[in-house]
Amino acid sequence: MHPFHWFAAALLLLGSALAQGREEVRLELKAFLVTSLQQEGRTVERLLPALEARPGQVIEYRLEATNTTDRPLSQVALVVPIPTTTRYLENSAQALQREGWVLPEFSFDGGQTYGRPPLKRVVRVVENGKEVRKEVEVKPEEYTHARWVIPQLGPKESVSLRLRAVVR
Amino acid sequence: MPKTLSALALALWLVLGIALAQPTPAGTSIANQASASYVDSAGQPRTTTSNQVITVVQQVYSLTITPNGTQTSPGQTRTALAGATVYFAYTVSNTGNGTDSVALSTLQDSTTDNFDPTGVTIYRDNNCNGALDAGETPVTSLSLARQGASGSSACVVVAATIPGGTPGGQYANLNLVGTSSGGPSDSDNWARATATTAAALTASKSASPSGAVSPGGTITYTIFGQNTGGSAASGVSVSGLGTGILVRDTIPNGLVVSTLPTGSAGAGTVQIVYTTDGSTWQPLASSNLPLTGNGTVAVGMFIGGSGAFFPQGASYTFSFQATVPNGAAQGTSYTNTAAVQYNNGSQNQTQATNSTTSTVGAAYNVAVGPFGFPAAGASGTYTAGGYTITRSGDTQSIASAYNGQTLFFYHTLRNTGNTPDSFTLSVSGAPTGWSCGFRHADHITPISGPVGPIAPGSDFNFDLVCAVPATYTGSTAVNLTVTATSTNDSSKTDTTQDTVAQVVSGYSVDFARLGTGGDGNPANDNPPAASANPGGAVSFPLEVVNTGVNPDSFNLSAPTLPSGWSVAFYPDANCDGAMDSPTPSPITNTGLVNPGVANKRCYIAVVQIPTGTAPGNNPISFRVDSATDADANTPGIQPVSSDVVSTAINVNLVTGFAFDPDRSGTVTSPGTITYTHNLVNTGNAQATVSIPAVTSAYGWTYQLSTDGSTWSASLSGIAVPSGGSVPVYVRVQVPGGQPIGRSESVTLTANATYPGGGAASDTATVTTTIVGGELSLTKSAVSYVGSSSTVRHPSGAEAFPGDHIVYTVVASNIGTGNLTNVRVSDPLPAYTSFVSVSAAVSGFTGAVTVLYSTNGTSWNATAPSSLPAGSSLYVGVDTDGNGTIDSNDTMPPGASLTLTLRVQVQ
Repeated sequence: MHPFHWFAAALLLLGSALAQGREEVRLELKAFLVTSLQQEGRTVERLLPALEARPGQVIEYRLEATNTTDRPLSQVALVVPIPTTTRYLENSAQALQREGWVLPEFSFDGGQTYGRPPLKRVVRVVENGKEVRKEVEVKPEEYTHARWVIPQLGPKESVSLRLRAVVR
Repeated sequence: MPKTLSALALALWLVLGIALAQPTPAGTSIANQASASYVDSAGQPRTTTSNQVITVVQQVYSLTITPNGTQTSPGQTRTALAGATVYFAYTVSNTGNGTDSVALSTLQDSTTDNFDPTGVTIYRDNNCNGALDAGETPVTSLSLARQGASGSSACVVVAATIPGGTPGGQYANLNLVGTSSGGPSDSDNWARATATTAAALTASKSASPSGAVSPGGTITYTIFGQNTGGSAASGVSVSGLGTGILVRDTIPNGLVVSTLPTGSAGAGTVQIVYTTDGSTWQPLASSNLPLTGNGTVAVGMFIGGSGAFFPQGASYTFSFQATVPNGAAQGTSYTNTAAVQYNNGSQNQTQATNSTTSTVGAAYNVAVGPFGFPAAGASGTYTAGGYTITRSGDTQSIASAYNGQTLFFYHTLRNTGNTPDSFTLSVSGAPTGWSCGFRHADHITPISGPVGPIAPGSDFNFDLVCAVPATYTGSTAVNLTVTATSTNDSSKTDTTQDTVAQVVSGYSVDFARLGTGGDGNPANDNPPAASANPGGAVSFPLEVVNTGVNPDSFNLSAPTLPSGWSVAFYPDANCDGAMDSPTPSPITNTGLVNPGVANKRCYIAVVQIPTGTAPGNNPISFRVDSATDADANTPGIQPVSSDVVSTAINVNLVTGFAFDPDRSGTVTSPGTITYTHNLVNTGNAQATVSIPAVTSAYGWTYQLSTDGSTWSASLSGIAVPSGGSVPVYVRVQVPGGQPIGRSESVTLTANATYPGGGAASDTATVTTTIVGGELSLTKSAVSYVGSSSTVRHPSGAEAFPGDHIVYTVVASNIGTGNLTNVRVSDPLPAYTSFVSVSAAVSGFTGAVTVLYSTNGTSWNATAPSSLPAGSSLYVGVDTDGNGTIDSNDTMPPGASLTLTLRVQVQ
């Protein structure tokens, strides 16, 4: 018996549902406005929901990722973009302590490639009439994405990540 | 972002850095959405995204007023005769991120100067030439756009009159103060007005256009002035030219002067000059052009003359044009200040003009193209989403794609305008059912709304992502046109094209008997046929192999199955073809099956054959069909993939036959008695029955009938359907002269034959005894449908639970003398319940009473309402009125007693 295919153009799409999968990882992103105030002679921070912000103010993004399944998930890469109207606040992306440390990685090319600081880019410049390639350091304010790659996220396990960005 | 940058791009990057220093405009929404990629427990890569958070940028207020100055070091000084009016030129700029209203006021110096000027008034300097022109009106406030936008700055002049009689050399300080509506102010803008009796040349400058300039546009600078002092002016010594009044202007960096300047003066000899080192001047000729501003190169007008040759009231004008570079970034400012050098009769003077600032306005444009080639000219290939993408010019293509998959085309957009801009992305050309959208370059995060702001000259990579529906296939190329549109100038768009040359099915399945799935040989897929008895079950080990490229789930069914049959599919986890233990629950869907033989799923299809199924061959087929499309189970609509295997079940012939019951009875001689039997076919095919004739040893006659009216010595060709029955009546005719007590038993044999050669037989015995009495006893039965009056079977041969059966027993005195103590009894048949009983008499004379009894001892004239199981009912006729049945009760010849007993089948 030959296997055969049936094509019916009027049918609706379900294939993408297969491809997309279920919400096995629930991501909840929150934005907080970082403010400072004086208490008992000390400067303390207070976080408020960042519904509004002014240029120069700091927004802290917090991402909570939860494995909603009863099975472990592997190679969980959590990505927090840095909006173009903000700049990454250097050293604000915190490492994640698990069995080992999960260090944040950064991208300056829209999330195509990631690396750990200091990031380098190659530029061509003309020096003494000759074009030469030079490696220059990418400034943190040029970062476009931050990423944490967790080798394994256990059943029902949650992790929380954070970074800060300054409104341009 | 390209991994390499050209020097030009680097330069643009640096410009961009300046441009991005502008604060984010108030009202901007900062949207952010996280994403995750991971590998699930089945080894499948997955992605997901978070909620989107949005922060709205609020307004900040900030302003600047230039030129700055203090009371001791004023930013600008104007010298004139007492009684004359001087004009101070200022530029007020909004450096906040939103529209602002700036209040303006002036402040007199009450401590460090010599006098207060009068008539101090602030005018809007519409053309920014530093002078008060006709039509320019006083203002007290300015409405300014946010920094970076057109209209973010404005020029004003402050007019102040030196009181008449003010001695020469005295001065007054005046401050222009600006206050933002949001609070901040700028108040360090002191200027000075000085009274003089010597020559005093004013110097003003205008730039046309006074507002924004376009890349490649031309600015016309005009410097003009007048001797407003009290004496004629003399010249100064100018290197390379001699003595004269020099009007000079350093060409702003980057601007290009390509045409000869022009000028005129109220006295002296005018000569157009230039300098390349800032100190030595020479006449300017066309052959010296173009001149590009570098901070030193300057053009000028030399007014030659000797002594005090430039009288009071004489004026001058000098004008030149400069071109803005084509690649100038929006917001690039060209600030320029000219000066006039002269001698006031006692010392050399340099009077600076007001500063003009020409800012490059926004020019929006965009280019979008294949990945890495926003301006087209693409070539080469890359891999995305598992497909090879071929770039050519301004197009990209996939040679062949599978349906049910997600296609990625990477793109690069470039802001070819001169200012940061955002762009909306759209796609057209997707066939019905396709779901196309855009993602960021991480290939995960969806793009919602415009992308950007993107710096001028910078690139933005993004993906066009299209989910091809499982139901779509086609050999016609699908051309997807991606359009990028400037959000600030919707007329600025660019397109690029992605092509999917053909779409073939990514779904395929092979359904086969165990061990043959996915072997590419469809000839061996069908399970072998099987044989079974009615009521039995047949197991077919099968397997499903996903031979497509997409994971898929499949519905299991049996499209060909005789009516009344059933099938169940049981998972066979270890694919050994035997039912797992414990027996798993049957399923109707395979669940997700990954492609490949290694991921095959095994099942056992168990077909249940109903009892009574006729013998013969029964085609069976089993089917799997993809559950991917929503209408997979809708009749008439085919799924995206399916497969069928066919086999057959041969139902065996089962013979089963009964000829019952044995009967016995009494008969007088001569006399006749009729017995009722049934032929019951318990086989699974129609039986054809014959009953041979029997012979009496005493000359009695045995006759047979199936309808009680047509009699014959033998029967043949009686068709008894499977599961059915046919009554057979046996009539025994006894001739006269037979001795009382003679008894004869004969055995009747019913032979049944079945289609295909099966046979069965059974016997029934009738025993007839000659009696001397003349009481004839006959019994008949009729079955009814339930309690209705609809006859189920006229001889009671067939009845269903709940049906009523009415038994009629007739006792008749067929002799010539009286009979005494006649009692008729009838037992309650097994598996029945008593319903009612009645009796009727005929042929009796006088008053008689029918009496009933349930034990043969106690009699009652009322019929009983119940009768215990296993007991019998008795009826007699009380003819002597003593309330019981005894030897005194007589049944005369010809009289009869009829007992009617109604029961219900349990």
